[in-house]
This record gives sequence, C-alpha cells and structure tokens, in this order.
Amino acid sequence: MIPLSAVNTGEEFKIIKIYGGRGIMKKFFDMGINPNSLCKVISNPGKGPVIIEKDGIRVGIGYGMAKKIFVQIYNEGDFKNEKRD
Amino acid sequence: MKKEIKIALAGNPNSGKTSIFNNLTGSHQHVGNWPGVTVEKKEGYFFYNEYKISVVDLPGIYSLSASTIDEKIARDFLLDEKPDIVVCIVDSSNLERNFYLVTQLLEMKQNLIIDLNMIDIAEAKGLKIDENKLSLMLNFPVVKTIANKNKGTDILKKAIITAYQNKKISDFKIKYNKKIEEALKRVIPLLEENNVKEDKRWLALKLLEGDQHIIHRIKEKYKIHNIEDKILPEVTKIEKETGEDIITLIVDNRYGYIKGMLNEILQKSFKRKISWEVSDQIDRIIINRFLGIPIFLLIMYATFQLVFTVGGPVADLIDTFFSWLGTATGEILKNAGASDMLISFFVDGVIGGVGSVLVFLPNILLLFLVISFLEDTGYMARAAFVMDKLMHTLGLHGKSFIPMILGFGCNVPAIMATRTLESEKDRILTILVNPLISCSARLPIYVLFTSVFFTKHQGLVVFSLYLLGIVLAIVVARIFKNIFFKEEVAPLIMELPPYRIPQFKSVLIQMWLRAKVFLIKAGTIIFVTVVLIWFLGSLPPGVEYASEKSIIGKIGKIFAPIFKPAGFGLWQAAVALVFGILAKEVVVGTLGTLFGGEEGLSQILPHYFTPLSAYGFMVMSLIYIPCIATIAVIKRETNWKWTLLAIGYSLILGWIMAVLIYQIGNILN
Repeated sequence: MIPLSAVNTGEEFKIIKIYGGRGIMKKFFDMGINPNSLCKVISNPGKGPVIIEKDGIRVGIGYGMAKKIFVQIYNEGDFKNEKRD
Repeated sequence: MKKEIKIALAGNPNSGKTSIFNNLTGSHQHVGNWPGVTVEKKEGYFFYNEYKISVVDLPGIYSLSASTIDEKIARDFLLDEKPDIVVCIVDSSNLERNFYLVTQLLEMKQNLIIDLNMIDIAEAKGLKIDENKLSLMLNFPVVKTIANKNKGTDILKKAIITAYQNKKISDFKIKYNKKIEEALKRVIPLLEENNVKEDKRWLALKLLEGDQHIIHRIKEKYKIHNIEDKILPEVTKIEKETGEDIITLIVDNRYGYIKGMLNEILQKSFKRKISWEVSDQIDRIIINRFLGIPIFLLIMYATFQLVFTVGGPVADLIDTFFSWLGTATGEILKNAGASDMLISFFVDGVIGGVGSVLVFLPNILLLFLVISFLEDTGYMARAAFVMDKLMHTLGLHGKSFIPMILGFGCNVPAIMATRTLESEKDRILTILVNPLISCSARLPIYVLFTSVFFTKHQGLVVFSLYLLGIVLAIVVARIFKNIFFKEEVAPLIMELPPYRIPQFKSVLIQMWLRAKVFLIKAGTIIFVTVVLIWFLGSLPPGVEYASEKSIIGKIGKIFAPIFKPAGFGLWQAAVALVFGILAKEVVVGTLGTLFGGEEGLSQILPHYFTPLSAYGFMVMSLIYIPCIATIAVIKRETNWKWTLLAIGYSLILGWIMAVLIYQIGNILN
C-alpha cells in the first residue's frame, strides 16, 4: 500500500483505503470512487493536486487529500484480469 | 382548465440538466430562491395537449445523502412537495456514477423517468445502451436525449404525459448485505408502529447510514425521540460483525447492483480515449504546473478588458441618454409650470435614480456572459483546481477563488456562489473577505477620482486599488483563520468534466437569469436610495437643495470630524460615505448632488481634495463597509454574528487604511 500522492502519472491502481471523515468518504462514494475501484492517475506533478480517472470520470484531488488515500499499484496484467471478471 | 402535472428534474452536475430545463420550458421560467437559503430555484412550465406541466429544476447533485445544501434541498423537496414525476437526467457517458442517483431515487419510491442524456457522447465513446431492457428491468420509462442539440425533447414530453396517466408504484429493491437486511427487518417495524408515511425501507436505510437530517426529521415529525438509541446498537453490531464501516457496506452494495445492471444493458467496445483526447491536449497546457496560473490570470485579465472596454462605451451612451432625458424632462416640466421642487424630484430623483442603475447593465451583462461561458466550457472547474495550492497557502479552499472572481462583478452573487464550498468554515471565511474585492459598483468612484487627480496614471492607480483589495482579503483571511478556524481547510475533491463547446442559448439564458436577479435586487435599493437622498437634501422645506442646513448636511457634519485624520473631513464626503452604505456607486451620485451636478465635479473636487486625500477616500470607499445588499446576503448565508463582524472589521480597517495613507503620504512629501 502506498499513498496516491506517490503514484506516477499513467499508472493504474486500486484504492484500498480512504482516510477521512464521513463527509469526505461520502463525497468520494457519490462520485463513484470507492474502495476496490480501479483507477488511473492522469496527472501527478509530484507536489500539486492529483487527477485520477475512473470509467471516464476525472476527479481532481488536493495534494493533502492524495496523501490520505492508500492504493495498490497494478501491473498491466493484473489490471486486465480484474477487468474481465 | 388544464390539468396540472408537477415534475422535478434531478441529475448530477454536468449532466445537461439545465439544457433539458431550457428545452422543456423555453422562456416560461423564473428564478427564485429555495426557502431559507440563497440557492437558486429555477421553475418553469410548458403546455402539452390538455396538460400544464410545471417544472422545478432541482440543484445538481450526486446523491441524496444531504451532505451538501444542494442535496438537502433536493431531498426535502422530494419528501415534502411530492412531485408527480421525477425526471432523472443521466449523463450517458458516465452511467455508473449517474446511476447512483437513479437508484437512490428508485429506493425513495419516486415515480421516475430516466432520461439518458448526451447519448451522442456515449455513442462516440463506444457505449451502446439497451434502453428497452433498462426500462424493463427498472419498470420505469427510459428516453434518450441530446439536450444541447435539443433532440428528444418531444419524446421526453410525451413520456411525461404517459407516465402521469399510468402511475406506477415501484417495487424496486436493492438486496443488501445479510447483516444489513437483518437490521432493516428490525428497524422497519419500528417505523410502522409510528405510522411513518414516507417509504419505510428507504428511511430505515438512511437511519442506518447515520443520516442526521433524517434522524432529526423522524424525531420532529413522528416524535420517535429514542430513535438513535434503537439504531446505534444495530450499526455497532453490523460494523463489529463485518469489520467494515456501514456506509462503505451500503455504498458498495449499491454499486454492486449498478454494476450488475450495467452489465446487462451495456455493450461497450472500449474506445474511451476518444472523448478525452481533445480535453487532454487542452489540459496539458491549461493545468500545466507552470502555465496554469499565468493562463488563469490572462483569462481573468481578458475578461476584465472585455467587460470594461466593450461595456464602458455602451455605459457612457446610456449615461448620456439619461442626462439628455433629465434636461429634456426638466424643460418640459418648466414650460408646463411645475414647481422647482417637483422638477428636481423628477430630474434628480427619478430619472437620475433609474439612470444610475441602468448604467451598470452593459458591464454586468458582459461579466455574467463570460462567467457563464467559462462555466459551460468546463474551465471554471480547472480554475479552482489550478488555484488550489495557492489558495491553500492563503488559508482558503481552491473553490474559494470562484466567489472571489465573481466579487469583481458584484459581491452579492459572489457570496451566493460560496455555497459550492462544502465546509461551513471555508464558506464563512470566504464570505467574510469577499467584500474586500472591488466590485463593479466601486469602479465609478475610482474612475471619477482618478480622472480628476491622476490623469497620467489612471489605469495604474485603479489597478493598485484592485490589488490592495486582494492583498487585504488575503491578509484578513489569514488573520480570521488563525482566530476563528484553526482546523485544516477541507481537501479539494472536484470533478473535472471534459471540455465542451458551450451552447450559445444556454449561456445567454444563464447570463440573463443572473443579471436579472442582480438588477432587481440592486435596482430597487439604488433607486430608493437616490430618492431618499433627494428627500433628505430637500428637507426641511425651503432649504437650499443639499446645503449645509438640510438634514443631509447635518448628518454629514456629525460624521466629518472622524475623517479629519484621513484628510477629507468635509461634510460632503461624510454624507457621500454614509449613503454609500446603501450602494457604493451612490457615493459618486451623492457627491454630484452635493457639489451641484456630476458634470462640474472635475472642476470642484480639486478645491476640496489633494491627490493624497483623494486616494485615501478611494481606499475608504473600497473597504469601509459592505453595501446594504451585500450585508443582507451575508446575513442570509451566515448569521448575525458573522454579519456584524463583517461590518465591524471593514469599518475599522477602512478608516485605519485611509488615515495611514494620508499620514504616511504627508510625511513622505
């Protein structure tokens, strides 16, 4: 598990855990981003906000928040297997 | 008498809901506010066969969890007003997320029509949706539309009538985790015992989710005061047995259901990249780490150039027209033998009043045009994103920037726009410092004084005032944050929609609706103020208009000594400032009235002001107090405590700044 802020641009990952209050969790859930979601980092400049994509929806996440989302990086193979399920 | 059908439009932000609303109702729409809050409420109607269909446009929402004001409004409306039909507008290219709201509406047992909007974008992405199967599965009508091209509107209208004629009672149910279903079985009878009218399964779910508004509602409406004691053990039990947070469980179940359903109705050939290709190219530049902020500033600069250079000459034309109208009316009245008092009332009071409102129309329209345009292209979301880091270091939220930008137009809609901020604390902070942003009503004051005292560097001086406002807003925000809100700023989580070419009609409609609200609000206040000034200047009877002996002069004399250290201890200046509270641009009008006409001001002012005290006066006008309309909005969005703070700190800060400028300037000279 590594924080989202450490995932490079272009890498695909699975969300494991979101640390935040109920309000923040709900906000993510409502936008379709929940634990076990498979996502891709569209842009991570390393210091500023991170953009992720899930099923064509793009969400910008502040840098502080990106440090509180823990994810697992996928190799290309893993990602495709999971998609097929 | 036509039969009336009440429908509500629900949907995610960026789902094209506004376009659908415009297509359905055309020009038959008006904007008000939802009770108790300053969130825009759009209503309209249209006729179809023997029916009159009234449409309420609910705020754009992702779910019905009531975690934001918008969601609470939408949910309360559905619970209390019980519309005949809810049309849920779905962005067909984002089915999974959009269907979350659909399932929530279904669980609430709304009589639903599902509108698969932006079907062209979905198809371009390679998504093929089987709407017949979807309709069969959910047991509700499904229509396809392309709202921004006005396609499918008639089909939607027909579907509304049909749905009204054969009302359905939904048996929709999502099967939840076993533990949750067991808990539901115990909670639902609790509600049944107390004759709860709303859908019990839905309410029970909301109770388990720990929804504070629903808990409150149950307590208030059905007097089940011990509801929390009954629910809490259930929640603890589930969370203990499953080792998961209950919200996570429920939401996971809902998404599980949606995924299963989408598998049935969807044939996708993954061509996702197409729709993002163009947006990606644009984003590479627009939100680039180095270019993002300069581009943002450039766009803002271009906006203001457009608003003021294009709007300015038109405003001048309107101004010229009204002074001509005033003179002409004066002549006519004089020839008809009217008294001086009556002539003055019509020329200075009525025509002057209406003119001073309409003069702002070109600027306001252009500003709202640009803002609506930027919103529709998808840039506004990026602007918040680009500014987030900078705003965070200033103690504000990235989304605070949008209200700040709007503040350059008018602080009233700007403060209304703070409702996009989820955190109450960020919201209040943004509201408190917003009046420091120079609104367009303050510009006439700057223009008047700089054209008299700073002819060579007019633009630079005006710019320095705008800049001063921004710097002060930042400093004050920092100070207030340290005093009142020590906690972290809420993190930025924001959807970035693909760039879209805005629909001209939609931009125009949005522009007009906003401008209308502003004009009516500001217009009435400004008009009343001008007439009031006229009365105070003319009374007691027989006194020379606006002279020292008039009521107005006496008020000014009381306040004037306070401004002596700032270099403008004149009763005329004090009077202008007092009336400026009612609306800032009135300062110019008042000075005009007091010094015998706005036309002569450029000759008269140098006798009373030095360039230094003139600058101090402009700074005072910038800061000293939010205008009455802004104060009213602050009160509506917060409470009296914050409103009084906003008034108090600005009065003190304005005076200190004006005095500092005058005193330091004198020493330097």
